[in-house]
Amino acid sequence: MTTYEYTQDETQSRVRPQVVPVSKGRIVVNWLTSTDHKTIGYMYLISSFTFFGLAGVMALLIRAELFSPGMQVLQTKEQFNQLFTMHGTLMLLMFATPLFIGFANVIMPLQIGAPDVAFPRLNALAFWFFLFGSLMALIGFLTPQGAAAFGWFGYAPLSNETYSPGIGGDLWVFGLGLQGFGTILGGVNLITTVISMRAPGMTMWRMPIFTWNTLITGILILMAFPPLASALFGLGLDRRFGGHIFDPENGGAILWQHLFWFFGHPEVYIIALPFFGIVSEIIPVFSRKPIFGYKSLVFATATIAALSMTVWAHHMYATGSVLLPFFSLMTMLIAVPTGVKFVNWIGTMWRGSITFETPMLWSLGFMVTFLFGGLTGIILAAPPLDFHVTDTYFVVAHFHYVVFGTVVFAMFAGFYFWWPKFTGKMLNETWGKIQFWMLFLGFHGTFLVQHWLGVMGMPRRYADYMVEDGFTAMNQFSTVSSMLLGAAIIPFLWNIYYTARYGKKVTVDDPWGFGGSLEWATSCPPPRHNFHALPRIRSERPALDLHHPELIPLERRQKLNTKVGA
Amino acid sequence: MKINAKMFSLLGIFFLIIAVVYTIWTRGTEWVGIPAFFALAAMQFLIAYYLRLVDKEYKTGASDREDGEIAEYSGTYGRFAPWSWWPLGLGFSAAIVALGVAVDWWIFIIGIFVGIFFVTGWVFEFSKGQHKH
Repeated sequence: MTTYEYTQDETQSRVRPQVVPVSKGRIVVNWLTSTDHKTIGYMYLISSFTFFGLAGVMALLIRAELFSPGMQVLQTKEQFNQLFTMHGTLMLLMFATPLFIGFANVIMPLQIGAPDVAFPRLNALAFWFFLFGSLMALIGFLTPQGAAAFGWFGYAPLSNETYSPGIGGDLWVFGLGLQGFGTILGGVNLITTVISMRAPGMTMWRMPIFTWNTLITGILILMAFPPLASALFGLGLDRRFGGHIFDPENGGAILWQHLFWFFGHPEVYIIALPFFGIVSEIIPVFSRKPIFGYKSLVFATATIAALSMTVWAHHMYATGSVLLPFFSLMTMLIAVPTGVKFVNWIGTMWRGSITFETPMLWSLGFMVTFLFGGLTGIILAAPPLDFHVTDTYFVVAHFHYVVFGTVVFAMFAGFYFWWPKFTGKMLNETWGKIQFWMLFLGFHGTFLVQHWLGVMGMPRRYADYMVEDGFTAMNQFSTVSSMLLGAAIIPFLWNIYYTARYGKKVTVDDPWGFGGSLEWATSCPPPRHNFHALPRIRSERPALDLHHPELIPLERRQKLNTKVGA
Repeated sequence: MKINAKMFSLLGIFFLIIAVVYTIWTRGTEWVGIPAFFALAAMQFLIAYYLRLVDKEYKTGASDREDGEIAEYSGTYGRFAPWSWWPLGLGFSAAIVALGVAVDWWIFIIGIFVGIFFVTGWVFEFSKGQHKH
């Protein structure tokens, strides 16, 4: 652990006394009225992680209910429906999407050397839209008929007033509408920032991969969220004002599915691409090598984004009314740029001096998990195979491998990597490793067996199964593992407390030692407008050039010298 | 900005091709995908056109030149609100409006009035009145 000695110089790590005491009320007001992209980013990260915890508790209840045949934990199957509906809604729209916006908000302006995002007040507004919209959808649980219970896809006609009466569904529709607008505003803000607020010399082809992925994800948001808004307003019209947009007589059932999945599939990439970006930042730092194939990685991201808009109907194979060959072909095509990304990551590690600090460990966990999810994705892209396992636990296992693999593993990778940048203190490595192995084993134990459950024919979204089905043993294994998975959050929370209490202050700009992008060229945590001084930007890794001038290739160094001399 | 415009144009061309292929292949029968693809293409071309326009007007800036120096952006960089109450208020009133649509119309009306107050405040936050700058 050479990086550690480099970081923590005992003589410098004394905490300096704070000059102006800040009252508690002042701190609250500062957060509520903040237009600082970092503070807003932290608010995004904190609230989305809280929603992650809530949705996780719902998942544990679902798993506990499926422990054995019969109803044990829940009183009614309606409650089960509410739980899986809100679990999906929270995880996708209130955890993963705002988590991306949180990371992008904190890190992206730092990476391009900008003092803030392009529209600071709009940024705050987007956050409040997200928070209030999410809370609206959530308070359905407090209403007499309970929260929405028609699945997070809200399929028509199940989601209309006749089959799902109650105010919980209305709150779900309009809450999601509100927070969807927040996401669109956030996306606009991020795109504008990347296009127009880069520091001098930070050309597009010198941007860090995470910033590239933020830009491309922002474009995806612009393409995908408006269809969701239109679909939700249509559903709201049907539910509240007697509309007939999604009536089955008018073909409304298929219309809803098309509109929903036109949003729903790109949404998966909205939450995947930025997290690919996070691991693409981490792997070079801990391999001590530049990213392998920078441009091909960017092109792969753009290709995935473009293709992801053309594959939505692979969620609708079983309806029998979509163009199977087109969607199957397009879906399988996505495997190509994704494969390119894997080549890039492995190529970066190849013959590098790898060390296994926690961020790297989480990135490797991501690669393993996501690979499984990608492979089952190709299986599901083939219509004959999909017909057999559609709406079974095979699909559940597939998308948990994809989404959990990218979002959760890469999220923890990002947390451990950037925690010193956020707070000025390094998270504890030992607890990080304990958490990683608990989460890794818990996750694979929970979801690997579900592939076989699905192939055997266990349908998703059923509250119960029979003894004769023979699903019991695998479900019990899955449930026990899920408890380990849930328990893995405890060491993380403990680690945060432990670090805040006993962690040593980071006094250098780059505690990991080989950080390349600009966020490592400012203090931990950065000052209000991010930089006291910016280094000259002449490559994709300006911070590395600054801290390790000896690593600059000879050719470029000579060019620099002549310029300085002249 | 040239490269940004190029990126959006490429996306536009991709979606246009896909739109044509999809329309022909489905024989014009799928009424979500076809208009959506054309709309996607149109949106990309719109952004590309705008970026090209801006590029022509303002020329390539220091952030798009390989040899840009940090000092080129010295001086006033832009105007950033140091803090603001209005986003919180406007977000809250938008939530009341959404709640009103979901629950009952009188809540909606309250939301509209609260919203007007906060929008006005937002717009005039940094205004010192006419001729007083």
